[in-house]
Amino acid sequence: MQLLPEAVLVVTALVLLAAAVAVEAQCSRSLSNRSAIAIAAAGIVLAALALCYVPVDVDSGKSLIVIDPLARIFKAVVLVLGLLAVLLPPARREIPQPGEFYSLMLFALTGLLLTTGTNHLMFLFVAIELASLSLYLLAGFSRTARASEASLKYFLFGGVSAAFLLFGLSLIYGFSHASTFSGVAAALSAGPSSGLAAAGLVMVLVGLGFKLAAAPFHYWAPDVYQGAPATSVALVAAASKVVGMVVLVRFLLIGFHSAAGSAAWGGMVGGWSSWLAVLAAVSMVFGNVLALAQTSVRRLLAYSAVANTGYLLVAMSANGSSSAGAALFYVIVYGLATLGALAVTAAVERDRGNDSPASFAGLIHRSPWQAVALLVFLTSLAGIPPLAGFVGKFALFSTAMAGTTQGSAPGLTWLVGLAAIMSAISLYYYLSVLKQAFVRDGPEGGGETLVAMSPAHILTVAVPAVLLVVLGLFPALLLDPIAKALTDSLGLR
Amino acid sequence: MTPAWTILSAFFGALLVLLLPARMAAVSRIIALVASLVGAVAAAASCLARLNHAVVWDFDRAWIPTLGIRFHLAADGLSLTLLLLTGLVAVAGVLFSWNVERRPRAFFAFFLTIIGGVDGVFMSRDAFLLFVCYEIVILPKYLLIAVWGSTNKEYGAMKLTMYSIGSSALILIGLVVAYGASGGTSFDLAHLASTHYSPALQAWAFPILFVGFAVLAGMWPFHTWAPTGHVAAPTAASMLLAGVVMKLGAYGALCVALPLFPEGFEQWKPAIAALAVIGIVYGALTALSQKDLKFVIGYSSVSHMGFVLLGIAAGTHWGLRGAVLQMISHGIIAGLLFGIAGRVVYERTHTRDLTALREFDLWRTLPGAAIGFTLATAASMGLPGFSGFVAEISVAIGLWESSPWLVPAVALGIVITGAFSLRALHKAFFPVRQASDTTALPLAPLTWPEISAISLLIAVSLAIGLYPKPWVDLIDDGLRSPLFHSILSQP
Repeated sequence: MQLLPEAVLVVTALVLLAAAVAVEAQCSRSLSNRSAIAIAAAGIVLAALALCYVPVDVDSGKSLIVIDPLARIFKAVVLVLGLLAVLLPPARREIPQPGEFYSLMLFALTGLLLTTGTNHLMFLFVAIELASLSLYLLAGFSRTARASEASLKYFLFGGVSAAFLLFGLSLIYGFSHASTFSGVAAALSAGPSSGLAAAGLVMVLVGLGFKLAAAPFHYWAPDVYQGAPATSVALVAAASKVVGMVVLVRFLLIGFHSAAGSAAWGGMVGGWSSWLAVLAAVSMVFGNVLALAQTSVRRLLAYSAVANTGYLLVAMSANGSSSAGAALFYVIVYGLATLGALAVTAAVERDRGNDSPASFAGLIHRSPWQAVALLVFLTSLAGIPPLAGFVGKFALFSTAMAGTTQGSAPGLTWLVGLAAIMSAISLYYYLSVLKQAFVRDGPEGGGETLVAMSPAHILTVAVPAVLLVVLGLFPALLLDPIAKALTDSLGLR
Repeated sequence: MTPAWTILSAFFGALLVLLLPARMAAVSRIIALVASLVGAVAAAASCLARLNHAVVWDFDRAWIPTLGIRFHLAADGLSLTLLLLTGLVAVAGVLFSWNVERRPRAFFAFFLTIIGGVDGVFMSRDAFLLFVCYEIVILPKYLLIAVWGSTNKEYGAMKLTMYSIGSSALILIGLVVAYGASGGTSFDLAHLASTHYSPALQAWAFPILFVGFAVLAGMWPFHTWAPTGHVAAPTAASMLLAGVVMKLGAYGALCVALPLFPEGFEQWKPAIAALAVIGIVYGALTALSQKDLKFVIGYSSVSHMGFVLLGIAAGTHWGLRGAVLQMISHGIIAGLLFGIAGRVVYERTHTRDLTALREFDLWRTLPGAAIGFTLATAASMGLPGFSGFVAEISVAIGLWESSPWLVPAVALGIVITGAFSLRALHKAFFPVRQASDTTALPLAPLTWPEISAISLLIAVSLAIGLYPKPWVDLIDDGLRSPLFHSILSQP
């Protein structure tokens, strides 16, 4: 029963493959995009229903697969984000073999689902790689030169990161002789601190840093965001990032809670907290500064992804349950906003042929609702109220401070301050896109409307936009369950 | 009517305007007028009720319990006066924008959103809610200027927006520092203010928070967004920006930064006073050499807001009261000046250049505007009988009590203010004309919305100047709040 949703996804993927073969044999043409999307979407909805029947239990510390409250929430989140990514319709001839493409999407989702629900070193690696291998293929699916470059880069960087991850995990196992996170924690508290464990931890963080696109491990991101099919990018940007954060939270807060050290100003103590603080600072500066110079909106979103990873790591480096909860809230909100922005960008790209900010010119006249949705997505990313991105950032920063300030010590103020200022700078590049959409007039004869959007495409724009507004006004709807799930699942206060 | 109607009418008005079908776009201005009238009347009614010591309205609900954030709105006398100011400027702004042709629905929706956000800041009793309302204003400001503005509008809009968001980053840092240091349990302003932070923390946290707010109040040397932004903005937006949005910064500095870190304030007082005085003199001197009428007003705003900061820096009861009075007075006067220069004159002459305006002989062709501008100039110079006098004299008294050696600098500022005001008035409206000059073409007379807006604002300025007692009572009511105990109780 525990693996019911995953099983549903795998079965659907196999059905999809079989259908593709059958259609090809019978009608001598490949399965249409539309039917492949329909089958995949149905599979995801079924998996979400199946999730309701999965028994929820706290981690016993022995099993490979854990369905604790945290896993349940994030499986649901991954399924929603995955569904939205699947529904994002590909451009004409972007995806030559829809049957294979969407079954790979489902396999990737299966990997992501498994990753959210494990506290086991080995199983974690297997699940991550199941997702990653599918994602590499998805990135290069459209057979253009750009897509091939994206896929190759993604694969090479991903392969190196997998090596780091595996090596790090084996070092940790060698140190602790335990295969679960809680076993590692027990070993850490029992013995003196060891170089082996530290080396393993660093390597795992490097490996996860690649997956999360933290600078300086982000070089794959811009090319993948630009070259890969929009559908794949939507999965990489939203669902896979959310899962990466869940892994980070579980791994660090269960396994290495006691080895955090401190990143506080004047009280720096070696440990993952200070390393993550450095990674966060580099990511925020790098991502935001480079995003300023982009002429492709997709690349801009990639650099904004790097910057946003930085904000997330700020909260993580505070090493607390409430800041981890804020980070998990923010990453969901971030995923929704990026997914929606990608969906609008895909529509504009189809209409105009490229994704430069100038091709957004006059969007408010050509398609007012899309323009408004884009406004919601980008201002949520920039952290303007009343949208969820604002609450998320505010929660990140305030919980990071609350966990680390005592008396007159500045604590994490240096990092939170940097984050707040970088976030202010980010408004510049988001506004430069919005300026085109709202202020500039479109090209000659700009009165025409966009190519009519399919209902699926409208969903991928409307659902994230509505969710961002609702979560912005009533953030407790999601923040409370996450906080509760964290305390229940990790046994932390 | 509770003060809740100010914020409700603004946001509901904005929503209603947005939902209007395209063919009924002309109705949007009527909705906007009604919404702002409701806001102004609600604020005025609440002011009256408060003067009769009615119970203060208070709305307090849990919002984000995990972070200790509550949806807490309340209004004391100080907030109420500022709400009334917002309502009056809003009504005048709608009247001055009566003939907006281009995308009127979006225009009025953004306009009302700004009003709602400003009202929200004045009533928030929770730091998070205050910050939300403070930031809600940013995007509508940008769009109002970038879409409907003039003169380098995209540059002006972007500059203003980046300054605003930069200032809110500083505010955010200051607030989360206070939140963290007070135990990380609540964002309630009274709770944050009742915590005693260590002097070392106050010493570095206060300037971050204060400067964050003061940027929006146009404190020198962070004032440069104000003139460019005000000039680029369409008239109604200039009125709002100078009239109420700059007051957000001053309000935050007064009601958030000071109560949170009183000892930090004590330490940085002289620096604030120095910057305020530089702002007063510098703004006035720069205004003296401007060619564009709107730039004159823009720099005069910097100078006038310097008085607000100076009153705050004085830190005495008189000083703080004077600061609030000056906020109100400047809000009215700046709104009036921008309305006349940006709408009444520019709409008819299509120039704001002081030399070019000479050709139009405005005194004869547009006497209504000339009278209005003359009265506004008199108020702006701080002549007795107008609101500016009451405010500036209070600030000066406050300054006498705390740092008398700064008063001569203030006097200098007032003299230069007189000089640039008279110069602009003279050049724009009362040019010396030679016999050889051609007779100016007649201009369209003032419309009724323009006349009513001008008379409304002048009447209020006169009312404050001639009978300041109710205003002073309301402000004192606010200053008696526990927030200010630690500041005003100091010797």
